[in-house]
Amino acid sequence: MISMGIDSGSATTKAVLVNNGQIISRIVLPTAFDFLTAAENAYNKVLVDAGVNKKDVNGVYATGYGRNSIKFADKAVSEITAHAIGVYYLYPEVNRVIDIGGQDSKVISVNNGKVTDFLMNDKCAAGTGKFLEYTSRALEVPIDEFGPLALTSKKAAGITSMCTVFAESEAISLRARGFKKEDIAAGLIESVARRVAVMVRQVGLKQNVAFVGGVAKNTGIKVALEKELNISLFVPPDPQVTGALGAALYSIS
Amino acid sequence: MKLLEVFFAQNFRNISGNHIYFAGIENDLIYQHRFFIENMQQFKSLDYVKNSYNKRICQIAEERKTGKKIIGTLCLFVPDEIIFAAGADRVILCGGKNDTISIAEQYLPRNICPLVKSSFGSIVNNGCSGVKSCSHFSMVDMIVAENTCDSKKKMYELLGDYVSTYVLDLPQNPDNPEAIKYFLRELEKFKGVMEQLTGNRVTVEKLKKEIESSNETRQLIHKLYDLRKVDPPLVSGLDVLKIMQKQYFLSPAELKRSARMLIEEAEQVKMDLGHKPRIMISGCPMAGGNTKVPEIIENRGGVIVVEESCTGTRSFWDLVDENKDPMIALAERYLKIPCSCMTPNDRRINNILELVREFKVDGVVYYTLQFCHGYNIEKYKVQQALKKAGIPMLAIETDYGDSDIEQIGLRVDAFMEMLS
Repeated sequence: MISMGIDSGSATTKAVLVNNGQIISRIVLPTAFDFLTAAENAYNKVLVDAGVNKKDVNGVYATGYGRNSIKFADKAVSEITAHAIGVYYLYPEVNRVIDIGGQDSKVISVNNGKVTDFLMNDKCAAGTGKFLEYTSRALEVPIDEFGPLALTSKKAAGITSMCTVFAESEAISLRARGFKKEDIAAGLIESVARRVAVMVRQVGLKQNVAFVGGVAKNTGIKVALEKELNISLFVPPDPQVTGALGAALYSIS
Repeated sequence: MKLLEVFFAQNFRNISGNHIYFAGIENDLIYQHRFFIENMQQFKSLDYVKNSYNKRICQIAEERKTGKKIIGTLCLFVPDEIIFAAGADRVILCGGKNDTISIAEQYLPRNICPLVKSSFGSIVNNGCSGVKSCSHFSMVDMIVAENTCDSKKKMYELLGDYVSTYVLDLPQNPDNPEAIKYFLRELEKFKGVMEQLTGNRVTVEKLKKEIESSNETRQLIHKLYDLRKVDPPLVSGLDVLKIMQKQYFLSPAELKRSARMLIEEAEQVKMDLGHKPRIMISGCPMAGGNTKVPEIIENRGGVIVVEESCTGTRSFWDLVDENKDPMIALAERYLKIPCSCMTPNDRRINNILELVREFKVDGVVYYTLQFCHGYNIEKYKVQQALKKAGIPMLAIETDYGDSDIEQIGLRVDAFMEMLS
C-alpha cells in the first residue's frame, strides 16, 4: 500500500512517499505564497523521483499550517498528531517530542504513538525558526552557518530578550560593544533553548526526547537544548520531514 | 431588516438624543448566516432569541419613558433580585466586541483584558465616534459595579466620570466567617441605594417574589443543561451559549420564555449531534459577541456539553434558599460564586471535577482572556487536578481579535484527535 504525506509548513512544504511502511521518496521545497501550488509541486516531484504512478497512490494525507488548503488530500491531520506518529516510527521509545518549525514550537507528550498532551508557544516568534532567521541577519551570518558558528564560542553573550525584535536590537548593541560574533550567536541560541526548555518542563521532562522540525538541523540549538535539559536528544537524519512521514503513516496507525 | 433599522434609528434618536447603532442586528445576521452553513441549525425557537435584541431595546426605552430606572451590571455578583424588587430593570454591559477596544485604549492601558476594555469602550462611546456600540450601553441610569478583579475596579473609577456608578464591595476571602456578615451589610447598603434611586421600598415580600422568580429561571437553565448530559447531547454548546449570553440582557420573563421554547423543541426534535468528544469549557466569561473559541471547537469535531464560566454554570448553579430571611439567603448564595477573584478558591476546582463527572466530559478546554490574571493563574491548579482525575486539558489564551483563529484551530484539531 502506497501513501503520501504532505506537510504544508509556513516556510517549507515537505512530502514523503511510503510503501508498506517503508519510506521510498521524500522532498523539501520552499512554500512561497501559495500553499496548494507548493503541495502540488512537492506531490508531483516525489512521484517522479520514486517512479510511482499517481493512480497507484492509495491515500494522500495533509498536515501543517496549510493542511486545509490541500484540496487533493483525502484527509487533513494536525501536525501535532503527525509528528507523534512520525517520531514513533523512527524511535518507538521516545515519549517527548520537541518540534521547532518556521513559525511555532511545540512540545508533544507521546505514548505508543498516541498524543497524550502538548504545548505550543503563543502568538510570538520567540523560540522559533523565525527568531533565528531574524537574528542571524543581525549578525550578517547565513542561517546554515549560524549553529556551527555558535558552537565555536567559548563564552556566550547574555541575551535577556525573548522578543524577536528586541533580541535583534540587543544583538546589534552587543556588536557595537565589541562582542565576538560567535559569542552573540551562542547567546541568541541559548535564549531559544531556554524558552523551549521551559515548555518541555511544563509538559514534563522525560529521558527519551526527540528533536524534530526544520530548526533541528541547527546543531547549535541541539547542543544548547541538550545542555539546558541535561539529556541527549534523538534527532533523525532528516528532521524536517517527520511531520510528512507521520501523515503518510496516518492510515496505518 | 433594512426598513426595521430605519424605523428603529428614527425612533431611538428621538428618545435618547444620540445616534443609535444596530450592532445587535448586524451581529445576529452574521450569526444566522454562519450557523446556517456550518451548524445547519434547526431550532426555530432560537430565532426568537436571536431576534430579541430590538424588542428588548424597545422595552427599555418604553420603561424609561414611564420613569422606570435602568441599571447596568457587569458581573454575576450583583443580585438581580434586589434591582427588580426595587422596581428597576437591569441590562448587562459586558462587552464582547473587538471594535470598541480601541476607544477604551485612549483611556486604559493596552495590557488589561479585552472584556474590561470592550465594556468601557462601549459605555463611553455613545455612538458618536463612528464605531458601533450596541444601543443598550447608552440607556442606563446607573451602573452597579463590583469589586472583583483589579482591572475592573480601576476601570470603574474612570467610568464614574461618564455614568453614575455604584460599586458593590465584595469580601474576597469567602471562607472567612466574617465575610458573609460584611457582604450582608454591603447588600443592605446596596438595597438602600436602589430604594433611593427608584423611590420604591424593597419589602421582604417583593424580595421573596423576585427570589422565587430568579430561582425559577435557574431551574429552567438547569433543565436546559440536563439535555446536554445525555450522549450525544440534544443541544449544541453554541446554541446554549446564544441563550446564556442574553441571560442578563433579556427581561426575566423573556429569558424564561426563550429557555422554555428551546427545551421544548430540543426534547421534541431529538437532534442527533453524533458521538463526538464531549468538551467542557472552563474559565473566563464569553460576553455577547464573543463566540470565537466555541465556534472553533464545534466546527472542528467537538461538542461543548458544559461551560464552567460566568456565561455557564457559575451564573445559575446554586439556588437562593427560599426558606430563609431573603437578604441573608441572597448573601449566602451570591458569595458562593466560585470566581477567581476569591481566595482561596478550591471550591472552583471541586466544582470543575463534579461537572466533569456529571456531564461525562472527555476533555476540558481551559479558556482565558489575555491579561485575566485570576483565571490565568488558576490554570495551573485546575490542570493539576484534572491530571489527577485523568482528564486531558487544552489551555487557550486569547483576545477578541481574529488573528489567532488558525493557531487555535490547530490546537483544537490536535486535541480532538487526541480525544478520539
